[in-house]
Order: sequence, then C-alpha cells, then structure tokens
Amino acid sequence: MQKRSSYPLALLLLSPALLMVGLLFIYPLGYSLSYAFRNEKSATWDLSNFEKAFSLYGNDIVYTLVILVMATTLTGLFALAIGGYLTLGENKRAVSFLRWLYRWPLFIPMVVAGQLMRTFLAKNGMLNNALMSLGILDPINAMSMLDWRGVVITFVWKQLPFAALLISGAMASMDRSMIEAARNLGASRLRALVEIVIPQIKATLLVALILSFVTMLSALSVPMMIIAGSPTMITVDMAWRVNSYGDYGVANALGFISCAMSGVVAWFYLRHSVREQTATR
Amino acid sequence: MAPIISISGLRVAYGNHEVLKGIDLAIAPGSFVALLGASGCGKTTLLRTLAGFTPASGGSIRVEGRDALTLPPERRGMAMVFQSYALWSHMTVAQNIGYGLKLRGMPRDKIGQRVAAQLAMLGLTGYEQRSVAELSGGQRQRVALGRALAVEPKILLLDEPLSNLDARIRVQMRHEIRSIQKKLGLTAILVTHDREEAMVMADLVVVLDQGRIAQMGTPEAVFQRPASPFVAAFMGAENIIDCEAKRNGAGIDLRIPAIPASQLHCPMSSSEDVASASVAADADGPVQVHFRSEAAFLREAGASVAATLQFPGRISQVSYLGSGYRCEVNTDCGAFFVDHPTRFAPDDGVTVCIPGNALHVFRRDLSRQAAPAKAFQ
Repeated sequence: MQKRSSYPLALLLLSPALLMVGLLFIYPLGYSLSYAFRNEKSATWDLSNFEKAFSLYGNDIVYTLVILVMATTLTGLFALAIGGYLTLGENKRAVSFLRWLYRWPLFIPMVVAGQLMRTFLAKNGMLNNALMSLGILDPINAMSMLDWRGVVITFVWKQLPFAALLISGAMASMDRSMIEAARNLGASRLRALVEIVIPQIKATLLVALILSFVTMLSALSVPMMIIAGSPTMITVDMAWRVNSYGDYGVANALGFISCAMSGVVAWFYLRHSVREQTATR
Repeated sequence: MAPIISISGLRVAYGNHEVLKGIDLAIAPGSFVALLGASGCGKTTLLRTLAGFTPASGGSIRVEGRDALTLPPERRGMAMVFQSYALWSHMTVAQNIGYGLKLRGMPRDKIGQRVAAQLAMLGLTGYEQRSVAELSGGQRQRVALGRALAVEPKILLLDEPLSNLDARIRVQMRHEIRSIQKKLGLTAILVTHDREEAMVMADLVVVLDQGRIAQMGTPEAVFQRPASPFVAAFMGAENIIDCEAKRNGAGIDLRIPAIPASQLHCPMSSSEDVASASVAADADGPVQVHFRSEAAFLREAGASVAATLQFPGRISQVSYLGSGYRCEVNTDCGAFFVDHPTRFAPDDGVTVCIPGNALHVFRRDLSRQAAPAKAFQ
C-alpha cells in the first residue's frame, strides 16, 4: 500500500529530470532521425535523402568506418598494453612513471589535439624534423601525414588515456591471486595477461571500445583540421550540408547512418552483457 | 635426509616495516609443515616469499640445493592453493585444472586423461564442463587443489585453504588434503591461524610471532611443551596465575602469594615427559603459570585433590559448549575459565584443581598486566 501511495510523489520528483531529457535529448533526436526520411521538395516521406547521401558520400561513409575500426582497434591494443604493464609490471619506477604519464591527453580538448597533431604530423612538422635531424629520414622522402593516418593517430592519442583508465582500473580491481595462480603454474606475464587478465576484464574492455568508437564517430574538429579535401569523415560532410546548403535532409540521413553505426556496436555490447547476466544466474 | 627447502636468515620488508626478521627453517621432503600464528605475524608473507610473489630483503631460500630467490614464480616448481581459490571464471572446471598442463605443452588428449584422474581423485567426476561459478565452496576448493596437484609439484603451498569453508566441510577437507599429501608423497606447507587445523594436518608446526619463529616442533611438543608464554597462550593455555617458584631437587615448588595455602611440588623429568609439568629452564622466583581450561577441573568448595594446584573460587558465569560447561571462576588470584562436564550454578562456591602435569611454568614477564583478582568471598 505504501509503495502505491509513494508512486505519484516519485513521479513528481522525477518529472523535472524526465522533462529535461525529453525536451533536450529525445525530442531533437527523434525529430532529426525522422526528418532524415522527409522529402522537402515533394513534401512526402521517402528515402531520397539516403539515396543522395550514399551517392555523394558513399566513399566517405566507408572511409569513416575504416578509420574508426582502425583507431578503435589500436586504442584497445595500446590500452591493454598500458593496463597490462601497470598491473603486471615489476619495475616499480617504470610503473609509476607510466601511471603519471598516460593520462595527460585526457585533459586536452579534441580541437587542441587536432591542432597539436597538425603541427606534429605536417610535411615540415615536428615528427619529420626530428626524424631528419636523427638521420633516420631523408628530407626528400619526408611526407605529410595529414590524411587518414593523421586522424587515426590523433584519435588513438586522444582516446587512449580514457580507455587505459577504464581497463587498468578493471585490471587493478581483479582478485590479484587469479594472476598469481597463473604465474605460479608456469605462465609468463604475457600469457597471464592474454589468457587470464583480458578474459576477466572483457566486459570493461568492450565498454571502453564502444565509448571510444562513439566519441570518435562524433568528432568534427579532428577530421576538419587534419584532412584537407576529400575523402573525409561524415561529420565534416554533415556540417558542410548544413552550413553551405542548408540541406538538413541529407545531414539528417548522414546522422541516421552514424546512429546506425553506433547502434551496431551497442547491439554487440548488449548481447554480451545479456549473455554474462544469464551465465551468472 | 637432506631438506628439500632450506630457509636461512630470511628477511622481508614492506617499505620500512620489516615483516620477517630472520627466519631459519629446514623442511624435510614429504613432510607437512604448518605455519601457525595470529594475523600479521608474517606467515602468509613467508609463504608468498617462498612462492616468489614477495621479494626478500635478505637471507636465502634454497630448494633442492638451488637458490630459489632469483627465480621467477613460474620457475620455482611449487604449486599454490589460494585462500580465495583464485579460480578463473571464464574457464570450465576441466580448463582450470588443465591450465598448468597446457602451459607445459602437454598434448590435449593427455591433459584430458590427467584432468579426469584429478577429478576422480577429488570426487568431481562429471563436473568437467561446469563453470566454476556453479560450484559450491567445497567443490571450488577441490578444483583449486586439483589445479595445483595436476602439474605434479614436489612442493604444495596452501594459503589458508579451508578458511572460507563451513565448519563441517572444513573438518572433512583437512583429512582429505592430508591423505592426498601422504598418498602422493608431496612436501606441503600450510598457512593457518587455526591451531587445531595445524595439529591435525601437520608433522611439523612452526609458530610465528612478529616475524620470528617462536617455536617449531611436532604438534605434541608444541602443545605439551610450549617454549614461551606466547606459544602457551596461542596453543590454548590462556589462564595465567602469578606464582612464586623455588627449585627443589628434581622438581619445583609453586606457591600462590595471593593464596598462601595453595602450594604444589611439581616433579620435573625429561622435557619430553608429558606426565610432568612443563617448566622453563629459567623459571625460578616470580613465575607465571599457564593452564588450559579443559586441563583443570572443579570440585565442591572445601574439597581437596592430591597432586593438583588448588584454590577456592566462585562461579560467575556458565556457558554450554556441547561437550560440557565453560565456567568463569573468580578467585583471589584472578578470574579463570575452567571446563567441567556438569553444570554449576552462578555464585556456587568451588575449588579449582589444576593437575601438576597440566601446568606450563615460565619466568614472569614483569611488563605483563596481571589479571585483576576478583574478590569472591
């Protein structure tokens, strides 16, 4: 009885938050997704925005997907390496130094990271200058990396601390004796990492990768600053459709495609967590 | 027989805090050693240093004559059973047990045979494909033991392996582990804070106190002839009476200053003779006498029993133990717990009787706070 009587009060208390979420998130998202199917010329609902988006930006969609898959994979690999060393490393000084160092990019905004990488990766940038002064690179062979490589490097550099923070946290909270049991039976540190630690923190790894994928998918400043011209990432195309043509229809269709991409990775995550929950029951 | 493990002057420190302060210990092959002590005494640190998980700051550990301190954990040839079992939840029971064999590059069919043999020995046949999350505490404990035994180690390290089990399973597992160790001829080292567990399972009991070995010996020797007041108290002789002692020929005369009528002459013979009192070599003059609750008995007030140290008292509390009653008795020389087969009522006047051979006599530690005497008259 008491439960039922407190229900309206709970709803009342929640209503400001629900209203804000509805007005500021659900309504604009629903509006934008549904208007991807709106043909403004004929004032009908059809797939013309998608046809136009695929014909104009088909290559950019594939290009975006390839960049994201590469950057996410590299972020995951490097984050596992950092987390693994923080957990299994035996040189206390090296571990402390790495723990202090790896988080720095976390505090640098995406746009600053883009600008920083522009000066670092350009043909006459810091990277090539350093390689040339070390005699590793001939000036004639110096080339700019301000293309897909630059975007991947920037994304990995920016997202790595976030993923490593989650992953190393999960590794640190593992029962330490699980690792010791493997070492005790004869596993090297690398084998203990691959066969014991990574399977144990799989769920956190998946969350880190999905959140990194979605963050990188929504980044506009990095591809805009690093890639000059075409092909480019679809966030740049969306901004271009809106700012130059006032074409919200195609921009919404590209947004819908972005949502579909993150929807696919979210589906993988949900399927995995449902499986985990079933297993623990 | 040459020892399989020789520990000499072993020191371990966490920062500035020294946990092990010079441990010397030789372990014979095929023996079962229990490291016994209270929390923080260094027993788990000693086991972890043996396993290679905690670095030593001094001394040496030699295993079959070879220096083990420089070897990483995976090359020390010791298998460990952890307190938390440390089973890998992403693997099945068979995968957990077979992991050490996989690391050794054993063919898959041979791993299967070895795992099946382990499961049969541990009474877990049919559980191969189960997830470890589906097992009970006792079954998990068996899987952890099977995983350690599957690699056929010469040395088995057991870090409080029974402390997470309920009392009934714990008693059963003590005997199972002991019989497996005997059957396979392993050298086993057990860390425990449970003195009964140590005595039931081990050939050699090593009592640790504040990073040092307080005493080591057979369970009987440590129990009957504790070398110090600490060991006596840890092994259950927690009742302490302050007495005056005087050497008298082949024995010792004990007198309770607070109760002049209470006197006893204890004969002393060889240190292994359990029929005589255990008297420290330097016990003369002011001494502290320890006795166990179950070694003393009660009689009606005014009764007299020969060859016992006896004094009057009054019951203040009684609790039922199952096998008898534990009575708290207030006396002029302190309050004591005495076990008795029949019930006394609170406020009953009694005579506390302690047989001479149940006394452990040590020179009095003057820094010890004596238990306040409670007037009972």
